[in-house]
Amino acid sequence: MIKFEHVGLRYGVGPEVLSDVNFILEPGSFHFLTGPSGAGKTSLMNLMYLGRKPTRGLITMFDQNINEMERARLAKIRRRIGVVFQEFRLLPHLSAFDNVALPLRILGRPEREIRNNVNELLEWVGLGDYMKALPLTLSGGQQQRVAIARAVIGRPKLLLADEPTGNLDDEIGLRLMNLFDQLHRMGTTIVIATHSQHMMDKFEHPRMVLGDGTLKIEAPKSWIQKKIKGVF
Amino acid sequence: MSFFMPGDKKLGVSTGKRRYDLPLNKGAGTGFLILLIALMTFLGVMALAGSFALGSMAHHWSSGLENKMTIEIPADNGDRDIRDRAQIEVLSDKINDALSAKNYIRSVHVLSQEEIHDLIAPWLGEEAGNMPDMPLPGLISVDMITVNPRLMEEMQTEIGAIAPNIVLDRHESWLGDILRLTGALQFATIFITLMIGATTIIAIAGAVKSRIAIHRKDVELLHLMGASDRYISRQFQRHALILALQGAVAGTIGGALILVGISFFAGDTASALLPEFTLNMVHIFTLILLPAFACMIAAVTAKFTVLRELALMP
Repeated sequence: MIKFEHVGLRYGVGPEVLSDVNFILEPGSFHFLTGPSGAGKTSLMNLMYLGRKPTRGLITMFDQNINEMERARLAKIRRRIGVVFQEFRLLPHLSAFDNVALPLRILGRPEREIRNNVNELLEWVGLGDYMKALPLTLSGGQQQRVAIARAVIGRPKLLLADEPTGNLDDEIGLRLMNLFDQLHRMGTTIVIATHSQHMMDKFEHPRMVLGDGTLKIEAPKSWIQKKIKGVF
Repeated sequence: MSFFMPGDKKLGVSTGKRRYDLPLNKGAGTGFLILLIALMTFLGVMALAGSFALGSMAHHWSSGLENKMTIEIPADNGDRDIRDRAQIEVLSDKINDALSAKNYIRSVHVLSQEEIHDLIAPWLGEEAGNMPDMPLPGLISVDMITVNPRLMEEMQTEIGAIAPNIVLDRHESWLGDILRLTGALQFATIFITLMIGATTIIAIAGAVKSRIAIHRKDVELLHLMGASDRYISRQFQRHALILALQGAVAGTIGGALILVGISFFAGDTASALLPEFTLNMVHIFTLILLPAFACMIAAVTAKFTVLRELALMP
């Protein structure tokens, strides 16, 4: 599914934020991405959702070499990735409904299908009464739920979430983690960047730990051998 | 064409079938761009109309005079004596008889005193032609079936035999200069039209770039969500097209009103030298097509500007 080989990233002429990152994520796996502030979690997520190209190294996604891929094919790969950004990045002039509908519209799905799916999902995340609301009129938690709904509406093959439950109360947070779990069981590969030790303890998934620009996988050895073929 | 669906009036708001993801109409400069395109189209209409009018004039002058010439019997007989009207009439008749028999001449017309009076009246006043002592030349208008140097030489010899200082004027000297002048003016108007087009392209590209800069985060988001370059550029294209259509239609209507005004006023005052200021159907059709052309320029410019900006994204 995703393979990083000796991947490094630097911004401009600054020092390497990520250096020699190596890992393989199998299809349908679930990982937490964690590490201290400034360790490069967001940068690694950025590389994974193809927001940047690595300064060095090789990235393979969905069995395709990203480094040499042409733009049109990169767009198709991006459509298979759902992203929950830390700062939500909702389009402020679009309603909650239209924000969530965006990935389906990009995919060119029929309007009737979009209406049904978006209505259902917004109801499910508890925003059935806020479909026409603009993001600025929603609370942080509500905006986060819209962002999560937008990320999952297109049934992505890979879901990347940067601190997705940070602004949510426990009940909604748990509900959304269950949604991620449900997507995981349906075969979606999930990577969640988080600081929350509580969440990582509650949901026993392997952890990708970033530190000093490199990445380690932490989990029971037997589990790692079974699920992840990583290059350390 | 579905550019004017009701949803278009509310850019940035999803409405049924037509939808914009970016609020391109919400921001300073939209009205300015419409005004700019309106002015450019107006100038384009004026420049093109000028070019067409100059073309018509040149055609009118050259086609009207290409087989015509004027024979002038000077009032001065060459020996510092003035020919009286009777002498001029005799010479005119001789020339008329000599030339009318030629098979390459369609018609010969000796201008009467009244016609000569009409010609000089604008220059010397109404009374000039009525003064009996005023020496006036005799004028003969000749319309030839065909013109070539050999025939011209033959005519010159024939006329020279009647009286040595009779002048055969083919209008070439002044007509050539005027045609060169109108050609240069026509080229200038076409060049101005092209410059107007280039300025419009630069202005639209600048406006699109500024819109991308304003909405860069939103554009990046669409890009990261897998929107193709075409999907994103189409939104800018449609926006530019709508603005261009509004501006171009206004500019063309403004230009058309001015042209109608010019035609109305110039129609009464045009001298015999200037042909009527009229546009034929091809010209009118071309001017009507100008807004469509402006829209095409706007859409294509927007498209390529956006694609170029998107190419900078990973």
